[in-house]
Amino acid sequence: MEQHILQQSLYLDIGLNIAQINTIFGHSSDIVTGELCLDAEANYKIGYVYLEQLVNNSAFQDVTNALLSGSAQLIETINTGFYHPPDLIKNTIHACGKVQTIEDFHGLCQNMLTGETVILIDGYAIALSVNTAGGDMRSVEEPSTQSVVRGPRDGFTESIGTNISLIRKRIKSPNLWLETMAIGRVTQTTVSIMYINGIVNDKIVEEIHRRLARIDIDGILESGNIEELIQDETFTPFPTLYNTERPDVIASGLLEGRVAILVDGTPFVLEAPALFTQFFQSAEDYYQRAEFATLIRILRYICFFISLMAPSFYIAMTTFHQELVPSSLLFNLAAQREGIPFPAFVEALLMEVTFEILREAGVRLPKTVGQAVSIVGALVIGQGAVNAGLVSPAMVIVVAITAISNFVIPSFSMGIPIRIIRFILMIFAATFGLFGVTVGLIGMVQHLCSLRSFGVPYMSPMAPFILDDQKDTILRFPQWALFARPRFISQKNNIRENNAPTTKPKWK
Amino acid sequence: MIRLGRIFCTLILLGVVLSGCWDRHELNDLAITVGVGFDKSGKEYLVTTQIVNPNEVASKKGSGYSTPITTFSASGVSVLEAARKLTTLTPRKIFASHLRILVISEELAREGVSKVLDGLSRDHEVRSDFYIIVAKGTTAAKVLQILTPIERIPANKMFKTLETSEKAWAPTVSVQLDRFIRNLSKPTRDSVLTGIRLNGDLEKGKSKSVLSETKPSTYLEYSGIALFKKDKLVDWLNAEESKGYNYIMGNVKSTMGHVTCPKGGTISLEIIRAKTKMKGHVVNGKPEINIQVFLEENVSEVQCQIDLLDPNTVSELERIVETKLKQVMFSTIKKAKQNKADIFGFGDAIEDASPKTWLKVKSDWENEFAKLKVNIDAEINIRRFGTTNNSIIVRPIEE
Repeated sequence: MEQHILQQSLYLDIGLNIAQINTIFGHSSDIVTGELCLDAEANYKIGYVYLEQLVNNSAFQDVTNALLSGSAQLIETINTGFYHPPDLIKNTIHACGKVQTIEDFHGLCQNMLTGETVILIDGYAIALSVNTAGGDMRSVEEPSTQSVVRGPRDGFTESIGTNISLIRKRIKSPNLWLETMAIGRVTQTTVSIMYINGIVNDKIVEEIHRRLARIDIDGILESGNIEELIQDETFTPFPTLYNTERPDVIASGLLEGRVAILVDGTPFVLEAPALFTQFFQSAEDYYQRAEFATLIRILRYICFFISLMAPSFYIAMTTFHQELVPSSLLFNLAAQREGIPFPAFVEALLMEVTFEILREAGVRLPKTVGQAVSIVGALVIGQGAVNAGLVSPAMVIVVAITAISNFVIPSFSMGIPIRIIRFILMIFAATFGLFGVTVGLIGMVQHLCSLRSFGVPYMSPMAPFILDDQKDTILRFPQWALFARPRFISQKNNIRENNAPTTKPKWK
Repeated sequence: MIRLGRIFCTLILLGVVLSGCWDRHELNDLAITVGVGFDKSGKEYLVTTQIVNPNEVASKKGSGYSTPITTFSASGVSVLEAARKLTTLTPRKIFASHLRILVISEELAREGVSKVLDGLSRDHEVRSDFYIIVAKGTTAAKVLQILTPIERIPANKMFKTLETSEKAWAPTVSVQLDRFIRNLSKPTRDSVLTGIRLNGDLEKGKSKSVLSETKPSTYLEYSGIALFKKDKLVDWLNAEESKGYNYIMGNVKSTMGHVTCPKGGTISLEIIRAKTKMKGHVVNGKPEINIQVFLEENVSEVQCQIDLLDPNTVSELERIVETKLKQVMFSTIKKAKQNKADIFGFGDAIEDASPKTWLKVKSDWENEFAKLKVNIDAEINIRRFGTTNNSIIVRPIEE
């Protein structure tokens, strides 16, 4: 679309304006245009334009009703000549939604595209835009990722308005600030950042502003697009922004001084800065009892290592360090390996790749077919491969425990680096044994320690080590003990609560 | 910096590619050796290895047509040379990290064992947690060829039998390579090894048919402790003396013994706790050894007329036990003295107590040991009678 047409200001005549709009939109069939006459003589004409599928019909009707039912009074007031007619009309329809005054075609088109109804007033080069946004959208449903046993069941939807409301309903504070911008030259996607003023680290907000402003792209379709464009480090398998479908998780993040980045059109809201430990925490950790949460967290870290290292450990032990395996286990493993044509590494690779194939196939398929895939998978991996003598039964167990452990990690985005690094460690294990695995792990830890998320060390509070923050890292202390916000995210307003350890009545 | 990183990464990747999986062995390329035997073969050593057939011993049901183990023998001037020579017989590389038992034939033991042990202690592949035993009156190769029921791997059977019998019966002693070598390396200290005897027909013991008998006609049995002087086997301790040795060494965890009742018949006592303290002393310039034994016992079987409910009987019993114990211990010491072999480490005890005296006696310790005065002080406590008090043998008489 030519830029100069958009920058033109509106015409005085309704007909010309509507014609121009039609030209701009290429006579798209979903444009609805019309005229209303406020009086019988048709002296006062009002035009409206909207995009059919984006507008809530009843909201639009409210607007027309307000105009038509108040028309007699409106005309009377206009006739007194004391008032500017557009202001009067604006006041009339104010009850129907937020009204904006527009003077050029660019603004007009933008407002139409966000689902507003544009009202053109004959004889004035001014248009009013009323928020009548509607259109079909999903209702608030239970999030399909990160589901919990105990805890709220609502999840974000594709509509940014709903998402904002879900967060606002949880944090009823005027300090919960919202900034909105449009990103994407073509898509003009609404992106909002939310934070709690007074808790958040202003430097991080500033940094997020800077990074968002730097984005120059034609379209943003999902928060993943934003994530890749603003993350600190591109070449890392580890996620440096957190994403979630759960408003309670975002709310708790905001209370810890983090910043939420909401993108219209996706239920996944980003949170920054994100730390390594955050990906091992589930919302439920704070809703269940502290002891249990601690136990589960420890389990998750164990699973992290199993998922990361089980195949490489098996390869290293069986091909390099047979002396470390207890004798009777060694006999068993040796018996299983009799007649297996591949070296342990190839065997492991074969099974891991098969599993990744099945998993990827299962993710994409509809649920009904997915079941069939899992049956085939179980048969192929569990039975067929062993019976065919391609892999040893022990390897199937190793792959199975690896796979299951991966699913224990609450965040899907943390499961991905594990899957990648697992293969690298397997290569190291096959060439250098446990020595190689150790070198690989040292490399991984070095890389992790070098990462930053919006300036915050990714491995904090473990490296750099902050003793006070250990209360909510691997362990989860009782609620009353978690009185301070994470120190590395924000240093402002650090005290969260003041509770006595116990409320038990004291007996003399 | 980035350049440096790239060079570093390339080097690492080159390392991965060029090293060619150094030292990598798949499990099915290994001949897992669980037992090794050393024999004399003319001027050379005959090395016998007991190799596991994993398929036969794995929890999954084996194919059934082969034995759980196979043995191969090869001879060579040195032990490790012979072991390498074994590759001409076995399809796989000998893998000795899981060695459970090392059998030395009596013939070789009498000639001296230090030469054959050097290679084993030097080799990095061998862990030192296997036990060393002596094939009493037979060859190591024969001992390793016998199949054993219940525990399918004979080396494991020998390993476990030695451990359990040491724990629950006490006339055996489990000696690992490092301990044996440590004792060998001290000129004043001598060591012991448990002996194993082959009972029955060798040919039968080699075949699987022996496993299908309820009472195996060929079997392996521990019997006695071999007494080494320097690195040479010189004498055997019988079962009683072996137990005495373990009492002196404080090696007894639990055992069972019987004594004669005051009125005839026997009473069996179970030792539930045993503690021995060995201390050196110098009296009038002469070294002496004091041994304090503390035993806690339970009455476990009564086969005589005795009134256990009478406290006096118990103290009388304790006295009888004490006498018996001292007698057993002295008989062991006597045997050691006869052979002039300080298997107890009396020399060390004296060195600890009085280094000066030790310096004087060290040079002629053999003879000093033979003359050494040993005092034994035993404290016996009979604690419990089990789930009953007086024996049924006693009761009818009281009525």
